[in-house]
Amino acid sequence: MATVKLTNVKKVYDNKVVAVHDFNLDIADKEFIVFVGPSGCGKSTTLRMIAGLEEISDGIVEIDGEVVNDLQPKDRHIAMVFQNYALYPHLTVFENMAFSLRLKKYPQKEVYERVTKAAEILGITEYLTRKPRALSGGQRQRVAIGRAMVRDSKVFLMDEPLSNLDAKLRNQMRAEIILLRQRIDTTFIYVTHDQTEAMTLGDRIVIMKDGYIMQVGTPTEVFEMPDNLFVAEFIGAPKMNTFKTDLLYENGKYYVTPFGAKIEVDGYKGEKLAEMNVKPQEIILGVRPEHIVLAKAGGENAIKCTIEVNEMMGSEVHLHVKTESGERLIVRVPTINLSFEEREALIYGAKVYITFEGKVMHFFDKEKEHNLLIKREESTSQDEEDYSLE
Amino acid sequence: MNNNYVEKSSHAEFQRRHMGMKIKNRISNTIIYIILIVMTVIWLFPFFAILCESLRMESTGQVGYIFPHQWGFGNYIKLWTETDFPKWYGNTMLMALIVAVLQTVIVLAMSYTLSRLRFKGRKGLMNFMLVLGMFPGFLTMIVLYTVLKDMGLTGPNAVPGLILVYVASSGMGYYVSKGFFDTLPRSLDEAARVDGATRFQVFYKVILPLSKPIIIYTILVAFMAPWGDFIFAKYIARTSTAGWNVAVGLKSWIDSKTLHDTNYTMFCAGGVCVALPVTLLFMFLQKYYVEGVTGGAVKG
Ligand SMILES: Nc1ncnc2c1ncn2[C@@H]1O[C@H](COP(=O)(O)OP(=O)(O)O)[C@@H](O)[C@H]1O
Ligand SMILES: [Mg+2]
Repeated sequence: MATVKLTNVKKVYDNKVVAVHDFNLDIADKEFIVFVGPSGCGKSTTLRMIAGLEEISDGIVEIDGEVVNDLQPKDRHIAMVFQNYALYPHLTVFENMAFSLRLKKYPQKEVYERVTKAAEILGITEYLTRKPRALSGGQRQRVAIGRAMVRDSKVFLMDEPLSNLDAKLRNQMRAEIILLRQRIDTTFIYVTHDQTEAMTLGDRIVIMKDGYIMQVGTPTEVFEMPDNLFVAEFIGAPKMNTFKTDLLYENGKYYVTPFGAKIEVDGYKGEKLAEMNVKPQEIILGVRPEHIVLAKAGGENAIKCTIEVNEMMGSEVHLHVKTESGERLIVRVPTINLSFEEREALIYGAKVYITFEGKVMHFFDKEKEHNLLIKREESTSQDEEDYSLE
Repeated sequence: MNNNYVEKSSHAEFQRRHMGMKIKNRISNTIIYIILIVMTVIWLFPFFAILCESLRMESTGQVGYIFPHQWGFGNYIKLWTETDFPKWYGNTMLMALIVAVLQTVIVLAMSYTLSRLRFKGRKGLMNFMLVLGMFPGFLTMIVLYTVLKDMGLTGPNAVPGLILVYVASSGMGYYVSKGFFDTLPRSLDEAARVDGATRFQVFYKVILPLSKPIIIYTILVAFMAPWGDFIFAKYIARTSTAGWNVAVGLKSWIDSKTLHDTNYTMFCAGGVCVALPVTLLFMFLQKYYVEGVTGGAVKG
C-alpha cells in the first residue's frame, strides 16, 4: 500500500532509442492504474523503471514518498507478474510461491500459511506439489499471481499478464483480477495493449503513444472526453469514425456538413463550442459507431451509404458502409429494434441511410488533432515533442 | 464391377510397393550397421590392444601378437609399487581436481556475467578473448616458463605452477556456457530480483539449478585439459620427476629402444589407469545431462 509518483521520468536506451519521454504521474494509494497503448509505446519500459529492472535515464520515481531511483528491485517492496509468467522451472508451485518469503527468512509456519491461503484464493491448492511444466497456461498464470500475492508488497505490478491466454480464459482471469484487487487492496499498476482490459480494470487509465502520455483519466473520462484524436480512436471498439468536415457558424448556431448533410450541433456540445469560442473551420469530426443510427430514406440529414460488410454479432450488427463520396464508416446497430425482415435486408450492396445527433459528436483540430472542446494549456504535448527533438 | 477391379489392383500395387520399400529399408539398414560395426572395431582396437598388452606377463617389450600367452596383473602391481607412477598420478589428479573446481567456478561466473550484465566494453572484451583464444596456448610457453621460474614454480614445484597456467585463462572459455545462459529467459532473473534476491542469489538459487548440463560439461572439460596435458607439463617440469604428470612420466618410459623394450607392457598398464577415471567420470556424470530442464519456465 503506497503512493507512486513519477516526475519527468525519461528513458533512453543504449541504442539511443527514447522509449519514454517525459512521464509525469501521481498514483494514489490503493489505486488501480492501467498503462495502455499500442505495442512499443513504452508501457513496459515505464513499468520496469518503477520495478527497478531498468535504469532511469532522467527524472524521479518515488514509492511511498521515498525516492527509489537508485534502489535495487529487492529493496523497493514491489511484486510483479510477468507476461511470460517467469516461474522457476526447477521448483514446485509451492516453492515458487514461497521463494520470496524464504529469501526474507520467514518462519516455516508463516510461509506455509501464506502460500496455502493464496493458493486457496486462486484455486491452485491441488497443484502445489507440481512443477510449472505440468501446468496449463491459465494455471501458470495463477501461480505467477500467487507468487506476487503472498508478500506484503507496496505496489503490485503486472505486465500484460493475460496476453498469453486464449480469449475465453482471458475474460475469466480479467474478472478474477477484479476480485483479487478487492481482496489484496493495494496499489496496482497494470500494463496492457488491450483497451477493453484497460477500461474494465482501471480506476484511471494512462494512454500512451510513442513514449508520450496522451491522456490520463477515468474510463468514462477518456471515453467521453478524449483529449485528442489518438485517444478517441484507441479507446472504444469498434473504433470511432473520424472524417474531415466543415464546422459552420450561422445565426448563433454551429453546424457540421458531413457527406452533403448539414447537421446542427445541438445540445451541450453546441453550448460547449460556443463557450470555447471555437472558430468556424475545417475540423476532424469523430462519431462512435454506436452513436450512428439508421435513418429513413429521404429523411432530414440522412446520409446515403452502401453496405460493404455485415458483421452479425447477435445482439448487434456491425455494418461497414461506404458513403457516396467514398468514405468508409462503421455503424453499430442494435438488433432489438429491427424486425427480422429488416435485419435480413442488411446485406452486401444494400443502400442504407444513416444520421447522428449533435451530442455524440467529437471535434478535433485538423492539424494538431487535439479535442477542440478541451482547454489547452500553453505547453501542449506537441510543443514538448518539438522541444525534445532539438 | 469396374470400380472394384480398379481398387483391387491399386491395393495390390500398394502392397507390392510396400514390400519393395521394406526390402529396400532392410538392405540400407544392414549396410549402415556393417559400416558402423567396422568403424567401431577400428576405433576400439587400440584400446583393446592396450588392455591386452597391459595384462601380458611373458615379455616386457612389444611383441607381434595381441592375445597374451600368459595373463596376469604383474604390470599393474609393479607400476603402483616399484615406480614413480603413484607420484605422477597423484600430481595429475591433484591438478585436474583443483583446476576442475576453480575453472568451473570462473567459467560459470564469467559466462553468467557476460550473458546478463551490461557494462562498458562488454562486446569488446568478448571479441578480444575470442581472438586471443584462437592462438594456440603454447605460443606463450617460453614467457610462461620464465615467469614461473622467477616465481620458483618450475621443476619439482611444477604442480602449483601448472595449476596457475591452466586456471589463468579459464575465463576465455565462456562461449558454450554463455550460449546456454542466453537461452534461459531473462525474466527468470528479473522475477527473482523482484522477489528479493541479490544478483548472487539469482545466480545460485535460480540459474545454477537450471544449468546442470552445462555445469557437468564445464567440469568435464576443465578436468580433461590438465589430465591429458603433455606439452606444458613437460616444458615446465623439465627433468624433475617429482613435478611430472602421468603423460610426461609415462612417455619417459619409452623414450629409447632399450627403455621401450623393458617398460612397454607397464606403459600400457599406466595408460589403462589413466583412462579409468575419465571413463568413470563420464559414465557417472552422463545421467545428469537432463534435457528440457527449462520446460514450463515461461510460456512454451
Ligand atoms: N532493451 C532495449 N534496448 C533498446 N530498445 C528497447 C529495449 N527495450 C525496449 N526498447 C524500445 O523501447 C520502446 C518501448 O518498448 P516497450 O516499453 O517494451 O514497449 P511496450 O511495452 O509498450 O510494447 C520500443 O521502441 C522498443 O523497441
Ligand atoms: Mg511490453
